[in-house]
Amino acid sequence: MSDMANDPRDVQHVDEMVLLLYTERQLDRVRAAEVSAHTQECNACRTLLHAMERESRLLTRAMLEEDEVLPARLAQFQQRARQSMQWIWGLLFGLAATGVYALYDTYLLPWEDQLQQAGFGSTSLLNLLIFQGVFWKGWQSVITLVEVVAMLTVGGFALAFFRKRLRRGSTALALVLTGFCAVGALMMPATASAQDMRKGDSVEIRSDETVKGDLFVFAHRARIDGKVEGDVYLFSQDASVGGHVTGDIIAFSQILRVGGTVDGNIRGFDNTISISGNVARNVLTFDDIINLDTSSKIGGSLTAFAHSLNMDGGIGRNVLIFAQQATVSGTVDGGISAKGENLRINGSAKVGGPIKFEGKYPPDVASDAKLASPPVFKQMEHKPEYAEGSYFVWQVIWLAAYVLFGLVLFQLMPVFSKEAVNSVEQYGASFGLGVLVFFGVPIAACIACVTVVGLFVGLATLFAWYGGLYYAQTIVGALVGQWLLGRTRETWPLIGRMVVGIIIVRLATMIPHAGGWIKLGVVLWGTGAISLALYRRFQPPMAAGMAPAMSPIPPTATVGGAVPA
Amino acid sequence: MSAPGKTEPTEAIARARAGDADAWGELYREYAPAMFRFCRRALPTREDAEDATMEIFMKLRDKLVQYDETRSFTAWLYKVAANHCWDLLRRRKIRQDKETEDVETVPLEHPDPNQLDRMIEQSTSDEVRKALGKLGARARMALVMRYYSDMSYDEIADALGVRRAFVGVVLLRARHELRQALGGPGAMAAGGA
Repeated sequence: MSDMANDPRDVQHVDEMVLLLYTERQLDRVRAAEVSAHTQECNACRTLLHAMERESRLLTRAMLEEDEVLPARLAQFQQRARQSMQWIWGLLFGLAATGVYALYDTYLLPWEDQLQQAGFGSTSLLNLLIFQGVFWKGWQSVITLVEVVAMLTVGGFALAFFRKRLRRGSTALALVLTGFCAVGALMMPATASAQDMRKGDSVEIRSDETVKGDLFVFAHRARIDGKVEGDVYLFSQDASVGGHVTGDIIAFSQILRVGGTVDGNIRGFDNTISISGNVARNVLTFDDIINLDTSSKIGGSLTAFAHSLNMDGGIGRNVLIFAQQATVSGTVDGGISAKGENLRINGSAKVGGPIKFEGKYPPDVASDAKLASPPVFKQMEHKPEYAEGSYFVWQVIWLAAYVLFGLVLFQLMPVFSKEAVNSVEQYGASFGLGVLVFFGVPIAACIACVTVVGLFVGLATLFAWYGGLYYAQTIVGALVGQWLLGRTRETWPLIGRMVVGIIIVRLATMIPHAGGWIKLGVVLWGTGAISLALYRRFQPPMAAGMAPAMSPIPPTATVGGAVPA
Repeated sequence: MSAPGKTEPTEAIARARAGDADAWGELYREYAPAMFRFCRRALPTREDAEDATMEIFMKLRDKLVQYDETRSFTAWLYKVAANHCWDLLRRRKIRQDKETEDVETVPLEHPDPNQLDRMIEQSTSDEVRKALGKLGARARMALVMRYYSDMSYDEIADALGVRRAFVGVVLLRARHELRQALGGPGAMAAGGA
């Protein structure tokens, strides 16, 4: 800003900045009056002021002239978006929700029932897998699968709602995390029972000995004739339990003999198990040979995966058998559901519930066996699944479930999903990393599960990996959709492309013989892309065009002052 | 842009805020052309403008509940649009490169009033629009916010993330850039007045 003078020949003009602020009415009244007075006297400044005012009008006119017609894409955008939101997505969501429920009802619920019979004492599959059972004490409050899904859904919506706030790293994040930690702490097992660990070539708990708390035995031979007031973990070649166990028995043995009393359950992973005593609750066992002696009595249910099973004792509830040869001679108060090659029911057998057998041959039933109803036999068939009409219905339901899954994830993690879709185009890196993750993660998770401390981490990793396999297919689907419909940076159009791509991918996986390989390829590819995107996320950001720490020194420069003559 | 003096569709705004899809459609039809033209002026390509317009309306739909009904709806729309476009340009790292920053430190020379007047007299709207496309992102954005959507200096400062006192400087430099792009006296002869 310069000063003003009255003599136009020796004048200091108003500078352009001030004139601009004057035309824009940004000067205070006093200053504006000074400028106004000056421009009335100074011809040059008046001319410049008028020019700038005309320039402003020219700019406004140029910008407001309606030379740009709204593109058809934009004209249709609102209508299209509204329609798709109200009809297509609504329909899809409904179909997908129905599909998910059908999947749950058909696949998960029966398994829950069976597992409940197997003695996990809960109605929840997740509860069984994560929170329940012998490994986790204190989770006895029943959390049903529905409750868990409901919590996850609410959590998902909350995450979506607070996503932007959380990204800012504000106190909200700290509060939420603190809340989760507090809830976690409250839900942690309240008690830590005492443990007794015995190691050696031969370990024996004599009949007059009482072990307070859980007992861990690592021995070549293990013999428990005393009392254990807790669970027994057996890692032994030859184990025998003749005493009294108030908790459960978890056994990894070549031979396990149970002749005493078990107040809880038996979980066995053995070569041969022989039970002649009393088990108050349930037996779940994976063995080559299972023998239940005449004197044995199981208060709950029996779930057996075996080559050969002989049941001479009594069982209080249902029996679930996956065995090549199964023989029933004792009493079963519940029903029998069996799958295998042969099922023989002797004359001494007494079964109080229905008998279902799916096998290679019809069951051999003695005429004097006391059965509540005749066995229902289903011949084991191996026909191609395409031959069944329900196959295609299920494919549609699965498709809808995939779309719903992708929809939720793309909405929850739009940026990451876009990054994963971009990564999937790096074919070699994605595929290679996919192979690594596909095989490596389950192995790592299993290793983590070996230790009790790492069980939750291992299972959580396994779940994440398993979910990732499905997410991978939606990612590849999104890429296929982009190939067909063109690239997009927006979330909803990307979801639309994902839907189109998923349909194509699912169709490809239905091709006889080749479909399985295509699916494997898609899973590997997508898993690798997700891993690649994750890897990049955790890489330290590199500032683009970052200046070097020191400016390069020109070759002609001298260091330390002038060059001496 | 709504015609000057035209009343805002308050009823449609209220219904759209309540989740009425038809009302939202009305608002879209009313304002989409103006928003597209804003984006067309502010962003480098037509495709960018189309994408940005859709993104802005998706954003507006989410943000509609935050709109303060005591203020101008049009002004609020332009504020959201300006923020979105500027974010877009900034993300693409075309806002201010080193070279432009250097240019901004060069003092502006006083224009020759007569020369400037002639140049403005001879320039057409079409030429001005073409010249706008040659400007740096910040200069173009500032001119569009001021002369297309009539945003205040405070709003421009807020959108560009600069101090209010600096808005005039940004606008003046933008005008100089524009004059140069029009082939006129961009860097005016020193002491021309």
